[in-house]
Amino acid sequence: MPSSCSIRALWILNSLDAVVLSRKFPVVEKQWRAACKTMNDNSNNTEEDPLKHTVSPFLPNDAELSSAFAERKKREGSLRGYGIRVNNQSVKGSDSWVDDPITRHIISINVESKVEGGENHLLWPLILHLRGSYVILVLPLVEPVHLKAYAKLCRKSDCGNAVGVDASLSSILLDTPSITGAFMVAHAIGDIIVGDVVDPEVVVNAAPSVGGLLDSLTGSIGITGISSRAKPVAAPVASATPSGAASIGTLTADTPKLGSRPLDKDTLRNFISSAMPFGTPLDLNYSNIFAIKANGFSSSDLLPADFKQPAWKPYLFKGKQRILFTINETIHAALYDREEISDTISVSGQINCRAELEGLPDVSLPLPGLNKAHVEVLSFHPCAQVPEHGADKQAVMFSPPLGNFVLVHYQANCGLGPPIKGFYQLSMVSEDEGAFLFKLHLMEGYKAPLTMEFCTVTMPFPGRRVVSFDGTPSVGAVLTTEHSIEWKIIPIGRSLSGKSIEATFPGTVRFAPWQIQRLPFL
Amino acid sequence: MNPPDKPLLKPLSPQDWESLIEDFQQGGPRHHKWTAPDLLQSLIDQAFTSLLKKDFLLKLPLLLFLEEFSETFFTHETHLNRLLESLRSVIQSPLDGVTISYYLKEQFMVSTTSIFVTVNALEKFHARFIEGLVELLVLVINRPNHSMDRQTRAIACECLRELEKCWPCLLSNIGGHLWSLCQNERSHACQSYLLLFTSVVFNIVNTKLNVSILNTSVPLVPFNVPQWVLSGGDENGIGSKEVVVGLNYKELRRAMAFLLESPQLLTPSGMMEFLGMVMPMAVALELQASMLKVQFFWMIYSFDPLSCHAVLAMYSRFLDVFDGQEGEIFTRLLLISKETHHYLVFRLLALHWLLGLLSKLMFSGEVGKYKSIFELGLRFYPAVFDPLALKALKLDLLAFYSICLDRLKLESFSGEEVGIGKSAAKLFEDGLVSVSAFKWLPPWSTETAVAFRAFHKFLIGASSHSDNDPSTTRTLMDSTIFHTLQGMLVDMTLQFQRLVPVIVSYTDRLLGCQKHCWLGERLLQTVDELLLPNVKIDYKLSSYLPIFDRIAANSTIPPRGLLDLLDKFMVFLVEKHGPDTGLKSWSRGSKVLGICRTMLKHHHSSRLFLGLSRLLAFTCLYFPDLEVRDNARIYLRMLICIPGVKLRDLLNQGEQLLGISPSSHSSSFFNVHSPRQHYQNLKKSRNISAYIHIERTKPLLVKQTWSLSLLPLGDGSAKAGYLESIRDSDPLVDIRDLNDSENLLTAPETERICKSQEPLRVMDSKISEILEILRRHFSCIPDFRHMPGFKVRISCHLRFESEPFNHIWGDNSPTSQLDGVDGLPAIYATVLQFSSSAPYGPIPSYRIPCLLGEPPRNDGISGQSVSLDIVPIEDGASEEESFRAPVTIDLEPQEPTPGLVDVSIEANAENGQVIRGQLQSITVGIEDMFLKAIIPSDIAEDGIPAYYSQLFNALWEACGTPSNIGRETFQLKGQKGVAAISGTRSVKLLEVPADSLIRATEQYLAPFVVSVIGEPLVNMVKDGGIISNIIWKDFASDSFLESTTSVTGLERGPLHLTYGDDDESRSSINISKRNMGCFFVLIFLPPRFHLLLQMEVSDLSTLVRIRTDYWPCLAYVDDYLEGLFLA
Repeated sequence: MPSSCSIRALWILNSLDAVVLSRKFPVVEKQWRAACKTMNDNSNNTEEDPLKHTVSPFLPNDAELSSAFAERKKREGSLRGYGIRVNNQSVKGSDSWVDDPITRHIISINVESKVEGGENHLLWPLILHLRGSYVILVLPLVEPVHLKAYAKLCRKSDCGNAVGVDASLSSILLDTPSITGAFMVAHAIGDIIVGDVVDPEVVVNAAPSVGGLLDSLTGSIGITGISSRAKPVAAPVASATPSGAASIGTLTADTPKLGSRPLDKDTLRNFISSAMPFGTPLDLNYSNIFAIKANGFSSSDLLPADFKQPAWKPYLFKGKQRILFTINETIHAALYDREEISDTISVSGQINCRAELEGLPDVSLPLPGLNKAHVEVLSFHPCAQVPEHGADKQAVMFSPPLGNFVLVHYQANCGLGPPIKGFYQLSMVSEDEGAFLFKLHLMEGYKAPLTMEFCTVTMPFPGRRVVSFDGTPSVGAVLTTEHSIEWKIIPIGRSLSGKSIEATFPGTVRFAPWQIQRLPFL
Repeated sequence: MNPPDKPLLKPLSPQDWESLIEDFQQGGPRHHKWTAPDLLQSLIDQAFTSLLKKDFLLKLPLLLFLEEFSETFFTHETHLNRLLESLRSVIQSPLDGVTISYYLKEQFMVSTTSIFVTVNALEKFHARFIEGLVELLVLVINRPNHSMDRQTRAIACECLRELEKCWPCLLSNIGGHLWSLCQNERSHACQSYLLLFTSVVFNIVNTKLNVSILNTSVPLVPFNVPQWVLSGGDENGIGSKEVVVGLNYKELRRAMAFLLESPQLLTPSGMMEFLGMVMPMAVALELQASMLKVQFFWMIYSFDPLSCHAVLAMYSRFLDVFDGQEGEIFTRLLLISKETHHYLVFRLLALHWLLGLLSKLMFSGEVGKYKSIFELGLRFYPAVFDPLALKALKLDLLAFYSICLDRLKLESFSGEEVGIGKSAAKLFEDGLVSVSAFKWLPPWSTETAVAFRAFHKFLIGASSHSDNDPSTTRTLMDSTIFHTLQGMLVDMTLQFQRLVPVIVSYTDRLLGCQKHCWLGERLLQTVDELLLPNVKIDYKLSSYLPIFDRIAANSTIPPRGLLDLLDKFMVFLVEKHGPDTGLKSWSRGSKVLGICRTMLKHHHSSRLFLGLSRLLAFTCLYFPDLEVRDNARIYLRMLICIPGVKLRDLLNQGEQLLGISPSSHSSSFFNVHSPRQHYQNLKKSRNISAYIHIERTKPLLVKQTWSLSLLPLGDGSAKAGYLESIRDSDPLVDIRDLNDSENLLTAPETERICKSQEPLRVMDSKISEILEILRRHFSCIPDFRHMPGFKVRISCHLRFESEPFNHIWGDNSPTSQLDGVDGLPAIYATVLQFSSSAPYGPIPSYRIPCLLGEPPRNDGISGQSVSLDIVPIEDGASEEESFRAPVTIDLEPQEPTPGLVDVSIEANAENGQVIRGQLQSITVGIEDMFLKAIIPSDIAEDGIPAYYSQLFNALWEACGTPSNIGRETFQLKGQKGVAAISGTRSVKLLEVPADSLIRATEQYLAPFVVSVIGEPLVNMVKDGGIISNIIWKDFASDSFLESTTSVTGLERGPLHLTYGDDDESRSSINISKRNMGCFFVLIFLPPRFHLLLQMEVSDLSTLVRIRTDYWPCLAYVDDYLEGLFLA
């Protein structure tokens, strides 16, 4: 069996752990059964295998799956689970026993045996993806040996795996591209569920929507929410702050947002049937899929004369030719304001592109000064042809797909200092009262064309409720919410350009009386 | 309800179908109601009709439904036939935009293919079905570049690919056609054409089938299933003989070259499929793998994770081709983990891939490649904005790096060469900075967990858990990282007390691991060494108690240090106790006792004994909290009384059964039993006296076989005592008061006058002296009716035989297999209860915490008897001491009579069974009643012999002729009761030689001898030293004998008679002549009687004059004296 990214089944569960949509792929399932049979035939000669029963040739039905998932949730403490082995709470045979953070994303569940008193079957690897209020579970096809290896890992009675040993989770993950593929599937499905696109923003003019071919295509099929609307390019995963309550959960909060829109089952079914008719994904680009589904092809859709049309570009552009680029950058900075510790500043950005070009042209985009700019990470859209020793070259050649796309992601160490510098102190003068001081320099060292459009500083107090606050900033206005104080130094519309300013903000904040918390031990 | 098939006769509405589909998918009972065969038949009929109906809206879900449950529905040829026909009609029907769309056609093809594959159409049914399906699909794809249906053609290609995947080489005959189609197709569907052709070529290569893929002579339609597919069928490939096995390399390489031209056309998912087939083909066709590298390596720079993974798959397959490029790949993976635009999981995956590759590299053993790892080394450090999960994995990488450093050192790579400036310990410290918040976050925070996870990874390093792993714990323990970590751990514990539970569970984790429990032990030892001396003794110490508990539980750590510390802590608690610390003291104290208990469970008692007993004793004496004191007392008793192994078993068993600390509940636990078990135990208990023995420590001289029992006389009041000799003095109070004062102050004459009721008697000064002595004596005797009387203590011992005990009580606990003391059975919490028909008052029961069984005596017959010959008896007895529990029976006799004491036992066997039953009775002899007379408190030490002598004389007189003191009564202690003396006399001649008499007297009566008279006798006895502290008198200075003889002159009557009876008067003269002297023996018989012996010792016989104020005892005394001297 050649290695592929097939999927045995996928389930979508709602917040009550009930299956709202399930899809099984009998063709893949047949491969799985054949593999199980081969394995069992081979292992007949050897000694009785303690893990023999963990591998089941059958898939659970929806009710079994949902109860097994609920049981897992209970066992692991939360939807995703602990991830690493937690004192007194991780039990042998559970995911957290494996002691690896990735078990928050690749989970296993124990499906009750259909035979009375029989041993439970292990269902692994289940890709867990949370989107909206829904839980997406995708079960990729792996080889039974991998499942057995995992079962061994999570049932070992020892103190935890050493790094770099042979049968580690790492080597299993390296050997199973189907898990990676299943993640792609899960994320694609997640995007459809919330109706959210990852199409990057390419601003053409003041109008929020670009209105190109693809927009008209996707817009016409009535998928609400799927459009190339503007969207800030925040990282999909919030970086955990190094300390504080926010870092207790390893990822963003487990509790899914409530009140998202109902599941559009038909759209999902159509997507699944088109993207992976037999359980093996062919193309996960839903813009293309929905465009084909909605429009089909007409005789007017001419074929290129000399070239083959790539699978990721089902339609060719016709019309006025132009190509647009935008750049989005985010700066992450940790400012210590201390001599002995240098500040950490990194820039991550992306080049978005929209190429409205006829035919199948190759575009070469020069990227001068890459070496000078200390660019650390550089990764490209699959449509780009990266020559060998890619990072050194000064230009990128690509054959643009339709619509908006991210051409390059990059990350670099900042040459320039951060646009905001300074320090912040908060000291508690009494149990419920704290005095704070901000001293900030804005746009220090930034020259004329660079503009700071707005600037807001937020002081979050996730654990305390702000009752009152006292203090006046040297510039800007202050807004308090229940758990934070926001200081709008430069409000929107009053941009700062060509000069640097200094802003100070001394003040005191009063919190509601401290809630007596239960101490863990006394 | 209607029968289920009835409603099915009418057509199902779309809503019905929807709920039906849901029922099937839910499974369980909802599914089962549909599974009757005729139901299924009618269901599939309806499904086909619905699918072809124009206005049916649920066609697609219905198709998916049939696909998912195809094995349930398609069990017969007719079904397949019908399916195929439906497909044909759908494909061939023109588009109408409403019911027949491309989309429906596509889905119909997909579902049909899926059903055919799932039900194994080729093996189970006739080949014409497959042939029909392939023909249909091939007709669809055979229109390359047709504009309208390009997507449909793509899907048809996918269907064909699935069929080819399921039945390898099914399409090998038409490979040539497929290739040309592939070359022609220019729409986006070309990916599917490409993949289809690739899979055909792949299967040909894989099964080594010799067919031409350039040959287009076989027509596309009609399609025939090739012979090799039909005959072979198994996955090992083509078994048919007429096929020549052997690859047509030239053609296939051409095909490969064609395929490798077009990777740019594929989507990432398609690329994965494609590469999955191309890689093994390249190997089989002996192509240069570097060709693949050139074609596909760029994908590693894509931000599509799947593309990256595809390159990695290639890399791990062709390691040598990528020689020199490891660094590039590793760096790239590390960078992917930094890309914040990715979902976290992809960043984690990238690190996992890196780790997987690195370990693969390490196992390949090529040292040279380590270099590329070292160049990376420092980039493994977690960054400040990394999510915790990422930090955890990066710390793993650092741990891995430290292992590499070690390996390098082992392989004598010089450090400078690769620029290793850092030790593993330094790596760890630096890495830990990224999660340093764990020191002030609550102990349950994930940050803490991550920190300790890293701790663990660094600690165990490369030592895996597989048995064939050569690295030993020993080498680990010697490593520097281990020493550094230990130090850090102790420092952390001292500094951050809230981390103690985390450290405890961390050591638990190590201790629970077979391979690394040594590490855990060593850690605890370090804590014991370094932490204990440095902790401050205050209330905060209690936060360390959990880790102390682990130390206590570890038998490799000498408990002294901990005991000392706990000692100090207890003292601290006692000292600091005040009104507001009650609860604190209780909780701390209980916890400390919990640790003591843990020690008891895990250490040898001998190791603990000194320290722990001191601690417990201090606690049960001074601790402010009652419960703690009580528990301490229980533990102390257990420590003292129960042998180590048994104690450990006991504590462990209690814990298992109760699941909680049974410290104060053990008794209730042992009492709770099911009635059935109790009944069984009753049966078992029937004959326990056969192997559980209670015996007197000193056997009685006289085997008393009878006892005189006197019924209370007349008035029926059992309490009236004996012969009214004692009565309440209440009515006489006035008189007595008067009496007393007169006694003390006035002449005896007045006394007599006042006691008008009494007969007149001669009172002289001597008698009044006697009376005074007697009054004084009696006033010391407690009145047993009103206060605790004299106690008679009989010492016994309890023992039981192991073998019969084990036999009956079925102790099959593992301890019975142990050797020596540990192998012996034991009974616990034994309570002996005593009862007697004799007037001994209430007898308190006796408790024995633990008793071991006597070892079997199979070797005793030869060995022990021999040893007894050599070894003095006393030694033998002490040797057995450990198997005998001393038992004392405290009697409070109301009459000094011999009797029987019945003994019943109640005890627990080791397995918790209750042993209950009657043991042999204990005989109480008259000699048990012998007590020394009480000495008034105002008699000085050196006045005692004189007092005894006086008392003897007085009593002797009083028990003589009644007239002497008449009916004088004496007030008892407490001044409520009075007693009168009514004496009786008797004599006994003992024909024993003087020396044996003296010996017997010395042995048995020594304490009671009040004086010895007569020079020869004194000389003989005094030197022995046994009889001491008495009055010694020679004849010369003696007037007593005379006086007594004169006073007791009448006694000579019976004496003479006795002598008179004797035949030889000479002998009597002889005897009297050779009278050596006299023993005066004063025996107090509780509650208030006396036995006086005057033994006139001669050479060959001894005359014993007996006087008593309790005449029934004479009967026993006679036997006793005979037993004593004549036996």
